[in-house]
Order: sequence, then C-alpha cells, then structure tokens
Amino acid sequence: MSIVTAVLIGLAMGAVFGFALEKSRVFEPGMIVGQMQLSNFIMLKVFLTAVATGAVVIAALQGFGLVSLHPKATFYAADVIGGLLLGGGIALAGACPGTVMAQVGVGYRDAIFALLGGIAGAVAFSYAQPTLQPMLLAGGPGKITFAELAGLPYWLLALVLAAVLTGGLFMLESRRPWRRDLGSDVDGDPTGVPGVDLPHGHAGPAG
Amino acid sequence: MAEVSIRDRAWSPYVAGVVIGLLQVPAFLLIETALGTSSSYVTIGGLLASVVDPSIAQIDYVAKHVAATGKNWWQVALVVGIALGAFASMRLSGTRRQVISPVWSRALGTASAPVRYAVAFAGGFLMLLGARLADGCTSGHGLSGIAQLAVSSTIAVTAMFAGGILVAFLFLRRI
Repeated sequence: MSIVTAVLIGLAMGAVFGFALEKSRVFEPGMIVGQMQLSNFIMLKVFLTAVATGAVVIAALQGFGLVSLHPKATFYAADVIGGLLLGGGIALAGACPGTVMAQVGVGYRDAIFALLGGIAGAVAFSYAQPTLQPMLLAGGPGKITFAELAGLPYWLLALVLAAVLTGGLFMLESRRPWRRDLGSDVDGDPTGVPGVDLPHGHAGPAG
Repeated sequence: MAEVSIRDRAWSPYVAGVVIGLLQVPAFLLIETALGTSSSYVTIGGLLASVVDPSIAQIDYVAKHVAATGKNWWQVALVVGIALGAFASMRLSGTRRQVISPVWSRALGTASAPVRYAVAFAGGFLMLLGARLADGCTSGHGLSGIAQLAVSSTIAVTAMFAGGILVAFLFLRRI
C-alpha cells in the first residue's frame, strides 16, 4: 500500500474517531479527570463499549481467517511501570495521547502544551530505549494472549468478553445514567459554574 | 428513541463506543494493524529531534518509527484526523470551548494559565514516556489489546487506571 493511500485512510479513520470522541464528550478534561476521581463514568462507558465492539468484530474477522491478531509482547516490569506513568500523565494532562488531539481540535490551549510534552516524552524515551531495552524490554513470555493460556479459540473468549462487558455496562448504566455525568455545558463540569476569570481566556462558556 | 444526529451536542457513550470499536475493521483489513496512537509521537518526535541531532536516527527503535512506511504514516494521519474530526463535530453542534476547561482551576487550586500549561506539559511528558515504555496507550493497549485478550495490555491498562486514580486523588482537588 502506498504511503499516500495509508495517509488518506488514516485521516478518514481519524476524523471518524475524533468525531466520536467529541460527540461523546469523553475527550473533555472534565470527563477524564472525573473518571480518575471516580465521580464520572463516561470514559469507562465509551472505553468498555469500544473494547466490546472491537472484540466482536476482531473475533469475526479472525474467526473467518481474514486477519491475524497483533497482540503486544508482555514485559511485566515495563507494562506495570509504563502503565503507571501513562495513567499518572493522563490524570495531569486530562487527556490520553489520542484525546489530546481532540482537545487541540476544539481549541483547548493547554492541550497544545500536553501535545508538546508528549512529543518530548516520546523523544526522551527514544534516547533511553537502548539502555532500557536489555533490562526491561527483553526476555518475557512473548506476545501471549489469554486465549492461548486457556487453550481456547480466540473468537470464543472474545465473544465471552464482549458479553461480560455488555452485562457490566447494563448494570453500570442502570445505577448511573450517562446523561447525569455530562455536566451543565457537556464538559463534565458538575457545578455548571464558569471557571474563575482566566487571564488568557474568556470569563464564561461561549457555547 | 431519539434520533442520533451529527448536530447533537452529546451522543450516548455507547453509540460513540460502537463507532470507535468498528474502526478496528478498516485497521485490521486495510492496514493489518490494530488501532493505536502513541507510536505516532515517536515518529514525529524522532523526525523533529533528528533535525537537531541527526544521530538519533541511528537508534534502531527510532529508525523503525521514522521509516517511510504506510503503517507509520497511517498512524500520524490518524492522530491528525482526530483533531480534524473533533473540530468538525464541534462546529456542527455549535459547542464552543474556552481556552482552558473550567475544571482545571478547581483541580489545580489556581486559575493561573502558566501553571496549567506547565502541568499539561508534565502530564504529556509522563504520558508518552509511560506509553512507549509499555508499548501502547489507551488505544493500543486499551481498545485494541484488551479486545485481543493480550496479557500485556491487561497488565498495562490495570496499571494505567491505578496510576491515574492515584495521581488524581493525591495531586488534584476534586472537580
């Protein structure tokens, strides 16, 4: 596939992704910080729904032999430490690497700083990688999946996962309807009070 | 049931989640990979850094990410597309945004924009450092890895939520 074609496909897919992130409000820092403070569950709902949907479609594609899976290799220490840093960064940035771009797209200026910080972090890791590689990114059990460990076909366990997630989401929704977590300006801000006058911003929501 | 319109200000998280999950179809069928976003930061970061320090491209890890392949540039385009798609969605619903979300003045205990920018930069830095160490982020490990039942992703995503919740409780005030 030519790079031009790949880029066009990427732009189109990204546009759909960004559209869905914006429509669901999950890109809002209020939603992400709220989720990490366990007071807002929109992020979990979007996330688990996307996982369940992905599991079903990948199960179908793989089950019919159309695609192979691409799991990442397991490195216990790297996965734990990396995950912790990633999560901590997400809480402080109020975004993940994908939703940062959505925030940039809608005009949040602090997202630009998060993006620059992200690029710097990626470069920093790149310089450290040759040193870290033998310690944290070598050996390991490989690209293992739970299907392999259980000795069951992937498609079967994937469908079980999707069913379990769907059941869990039904229960979560009944306890905590999504509309309640939107906030007054669909930004996850539970109080509805415009922020304190920001020196470089407006005094209230413009929408 | 109310119609879902592209002019809505907010969709149900379930509708959005299904749309996002369906993106795995073109990802797997056309690009032979799963959804992901953090690798693109290495691609762009590596290219930018090589302007200042050309020797960085000699690191195999960097060379792999800056190579002119469809897969590398697909992900960069995906990430740029996210910004464009979010912009379009916002315009269609007429939801404007301030330059900094109002939740931050409460979370950080100050309305100072420079403080917010510094915290955002630090957050972004930690985020990508962690994502690249774990070889994936909320998309790569979260959406794609868990769906594929990968052990690495299950560990990484658990740690991600643990780290996020810890930092949010220890360092941010309740919003």
